[in-house]
Amino acid sequence: MSQPTSSPFAHNNQSVRKVMMQVQIAALPALLTHIYLFGFGIVVQWLLAIATMLVVEYIMLKLRGRPIMPFMTDMSALITITGLVFCIPPEAPWWIIVSGSAFALVFGKHLYGGLGYNPFNPAMLGYAFLLISFPVQMTTWTLPVDLSGHTLNFIESAHYIFTGQIPGYSLDALTGATPLNEVRNGLSQGLNVTETITEQTKNQLFGLTSWGWVNVAFMIGGLWMIYSRVISWQFPIGFLGALALISFIFHQYDPSVYPPTSFMLFTGGTMLAAFFIITDPVTASTTPKGKLIYACGIGVLVYVIRQWGAFPDGIAFAIILMNIAVPLIDQYTQPRVFGHQR
Amino acid sequence: MLRPFIEQIAKIYPTAKRYLHVFHGGVFPKYNKELSANQPVRTQIIPNKLILPLQQQVGLAAEVLVNVGDYVKKNQLLAKSSKDPKKALIVPMHAPTSGVIESIEPAILAHPSGLLDMAITLKPDGKNITIENVLNVSKQPIETPDQLKDILFHAGIIGMGGAGFPTYAKIPSRPGQIHTLLINGAECEPFITCDDLLMQTQADEIVQGALITAKALGSSKIICGIESNKPTAIKAMTQAAIGTIVEIKTVESVYPMGGQKQLTLELTGIEMPHKTHAVDIGLLMMNVATFTAIYRAVMFGEPLTARMVTVSGLGFNKPFNSVAMIGTPFSELAEAAEPKSKLDYPLVMGGPMMGVKVKDNGVPITKTTNCVLANPPEPVDMQMPCIRCGECMDACPVNLLPQQMYFHAQAHEFDKVEKLNVFDCIECGCCSFVCPSHIPLVQYYRHSKSELKEIHAEQKAVDLAKERHEFRTARIEREKAEREARLKAKKEAVKKQSAAKPADNPANNADTPKKKPASSAAAAAARAAAARRAAKTNQDSATGSTQTPETSASSEEKMPSARLKAIEAAKQATQQSAQQDLEQGSEKTTDPKVAARNAAMLAAKKRAAAKKAEKVAETESDTSTPVDAVNALDTEKPDQTTIKKDPKQAAKAAAMAAAKKRAQAKIEKKANAEKPSESVNTTNKTEDASPSQPEPSQMVDLTQQTTETDASRKEAARKAAKLAAKEATKKRADAARVTKQQAEAERAETIERTGQVDPVTDKRNKAVEAARQRAALRKTQKNQTNSDE
Repeated sequence: MSQPTSSPFAHNNQSVRKVMMQVQIAALPALLTHIYLFGFGIVVQWLLAIATMLVVEYIMLKLRGRPIMPFMTDMSALITITGLVFCIPPEAPWWIIVSGSAFALVFGKHLYGGLGYNPFNPAMLGYAFLLISFPVQMTTWTLPVDLSGHTLNFIESAHYIFTGQIPGYSLDALTGATPLNEVRNGLSQGLNVTETITEQTKNQLFGLTSWGWVNVAFMIGGLWMIYSRVISWQFPIGFLGALALISFIFHQYDPSVYPPTSFMLFTGGTMLAAFFIITDPVTASTTPKGKLIYACGIGVLVYVIRQWGAFPDGIAFAIILMNIAVPLIDQYTQPRVFGHQR
Repeated sequence: MLRPFIEQIAKIYPTAKRYLHVFHGGVFPKYNKELSANQPVRTQIIPNKLILPLQQQVGLAAEVLVNVGDYVKKNQLLAKSSKDPKKALIVPMHAPTSGVIESIEPAILAHPSGLLDMAITLKPDGKNITIENVLNVSKQPIETPDQLKDILFHAGIIGMGGAGFPTYAKIPSRPGQIHTLLINGAECEPFITCDDLLMQTQADEIVQGALITAKALGSSKIICGIESNKPTAIKAMTQAAIGTIVEIKTVESVYPMGGQKQLTLELTGIEMPHKTHAVDIGLLMMNVATFTAIYRAVMFGEPLTARMVTVSGLGFNKPFNSVAMIGTPFSELAEAAEPKSKLDYPLVMGGPMMGVKVKDNGVPITKTTNCVLANPPEPVDMQMPCIRCGECMDACPVNLLPQQMYFHAQAHEFDKVEKLNVFDCIECGCCSFVCPSHIPLVQYYRHSKSELKEIHAEQKAVDLAKERHEFRTARIEREKAEREARLKAKKEAVKKQSAAKPADNPANNADTPKKKPASSAAAAAARAAAARRAAKTNQDSATGSTQTPETSASSEEKMPSARLKAIEAAKQATQQSAQQDLEQGSEKTTDPKVAARNAAMLAAKKRAAAKKAEKVAETESDTSTPVDAVNALDTEKPDQTTIKKDPKQAAKAAAMAAAKKRAQAKIEKKANAEKPSESVNTTNKTEDASPSQPEPSQMVDLTQQTTETDASRKEAARKAAKLAAKEATKKRADAARVTKQQAEAERAETIERTGQVDPVTDKRNKAVEAARQRAALRKTQKNQTNSDE
């Protein structure tokens, strides 16, 4: 490559590919935990997603007239599909992940101009598309091993994903609702939240449900990313702080209807969102204060949708709604320039 | 208390070091200072040739004072601009060593543009013969800023930290304005160690230089900032500052700590407002090298001819520092540092963060060069789209939004870029340094700044043109309004007059109210003259004695008589028109115009008839001919707008008449023989002159009642002056001709007497004689014709 024509002639060796690789590495602990607790379904989904990504990226870059390299290998699409893969049930049919990924990459990224130009988070766009279009498939989660008593190995998972049947097992034994969904169903049936939760605690490993452990794994990866300056600290702290605060307030107000903070923070896709999804720099706010406001907004919206909305996990819609507000937030949170009054 | 905690954290989380300094952001590049800092300072290299640019700083270029082939000594003044240093920025140039001036021609200089500029090439002779104390300093202490400014100006000292602003212009003249003097020993760029070694080796000079400056300016505080990665320098400076008011402060090693605004905030806690100079808020910051130069100039009378330069980089085997002469080519210094491979890549002047790639490796060291850097080119990543990560914003020491500025600069929305305060950008390069997408952000801002400058200049020109155009249209309208106002006033006056006294007979104008006392006398005279003229026309008399001494004496008042006639005629006309108006009951503004026009035509016809008679009667008179001829020849143009020329006409004619009178008197006095020809000449001249007058119009001659505005008076005065000048030249020409003719006459006489004949003069004389005879003949003929009529 040609040398820069004017100063500076030094650089700190950071690059887009490096940033994306670091995010991918940070997601590894969670992936391993997921496999351990839920079986190999997620690996099959991930492989399907990679295949979809390669095909879709290639076609879109060609259609847009962009050079295939380096855009094919800038790892940004990898982050999108990783996020999406964690959001869907591991035993969902194959066309779920394929359509979701395709939608996310095409409509969430390329049609807006490719890397760096999309206003909405592509993973969340794909997730929202799937939630609205295929609600049944998106809410029948695989039960974790401790609940179902059986780990699906790789072949069985693949078989199920592609054909919808596993020879020798019935579906009901394997699938069920997530804790969040259980709480909702419980409330609609008149069960107390505490009752529902105490029932869940019977099946916990070391005090946390399987989903809780996956969240913890995400948190570990996220903390590493904060340390290596891949993501900004304002995102997780703002999001988790706001979510914790609002759930604490409401839980104090009426514990029978509103779940406790620990429940809120460690179920569903909370940690995934906190460290991996909302930290997507392209779609988030850019000013330091703006990042905090953005993250807090998401936290509040997630709680609202979870409690009073139609979906058990409101991450997708909360993020998309705040993405809409980002230009406004950026406009009004510009920092004070050196030497100016304000 | 928090500092050690942060320092511990910084070991595992390096970016925490950003909390150790006051200003926002900053980056921590790989410094590589040990490459040159651990090497001893080498002796001065006397190069094979020195290239001395005539302009090394902002301001005017120096003018060369020596010639090619001259032998110059060290410290000798080579070039200095002749302009006033108080009005322009001027820096003289002195010879760094003794030698012969080889050439004075454009040379390529260490500027980003690579353009050629004038430079003196000096060939050193190696002997280094020096002129001591070339600035003629005495050992007296300097008490006032002006004394210091004088020495600094003559020493040619400019800011040696890199900006190169002439120091004599930077220092204010008022003593006590600067309360704190700041010494910049930070040196934050990677690779550069020249200030470090200067502080290690010449700490005393720096401190003394600062003390001299503080004393001259009346500063009460001196603070020196040195980065923490220079422990030896800190020790040396602290040692040198014992017992003085100089305070040595250690600051964090972060780029760009050495920036003026950043270091000021760090040392004093004062945040300089944008668009202000440090001297305006009582601070003055200068580099350690500048203080050394000040010391040497004040104590030893040495001008600035050499400076400490770092020759370093990953491409050198033996990087070093040395005091290099101004004008030493880069290539010679680079050779002394033993490059690892052939230098086929461009060297960099300055550091890697803010340096400039030179267009030719033979460019010279200037007074602001602090480093010759050789980093072999490494492959650079391709520019990717911005992922909006915000690292640039975190790194910016001025707390700007590089990301937003980049987006708007890309979209050519330069007004938005300006709103984002791009002009506060110090182009330090921190944003480009941290960008993961490898976007050359600083280049975008440099481009935006130049585009904005151009836009502002164009806007200014447009605004000026608009202002001038508006002023011009306003002026034209104002003049038009004045004209109309004057017209209106005249019409009102006419109406009033006609309403007051209906007069049918031009002879009965005794009742017309005359505001000017001269007019009444003129009226009486005019009446008399009119009566006489009438008698003359009736009798067909052709004597030229119609002009009574009265009228000849009052030739200036002759004019009003003719005008009065027109007044009467116009009055009649307006009377008629007024009656018509009353009958019609309408007040059209054009009616008086039309009526007056008709009246003017009538009057003109009358005047034409009278003119003939006048011409006959007055051709023989000497004084009044020109005047009345002027009036008689007045063409009748029914044009209201020329009324304003009446005062002009009056003045012009008056001046002409007076001049004529004087000329005639002189002529009469000198030679009687010349008189007829002269009068004929003047008459001819007059007749020649009068047709050349533009638009003389007398139909509605109401000058007595006209309200003259300032503008019209000024115009009249101007025209009168012009006319007077014309007359004066004419008079001089007349006089000259008179003398010439006299001389001719005398010569003719002498010739007649002596009988000598010079063929040329003889011919001329003959021609003159012939002309004279022709003129006499013409006159007699005219007289005859006149007498016939």
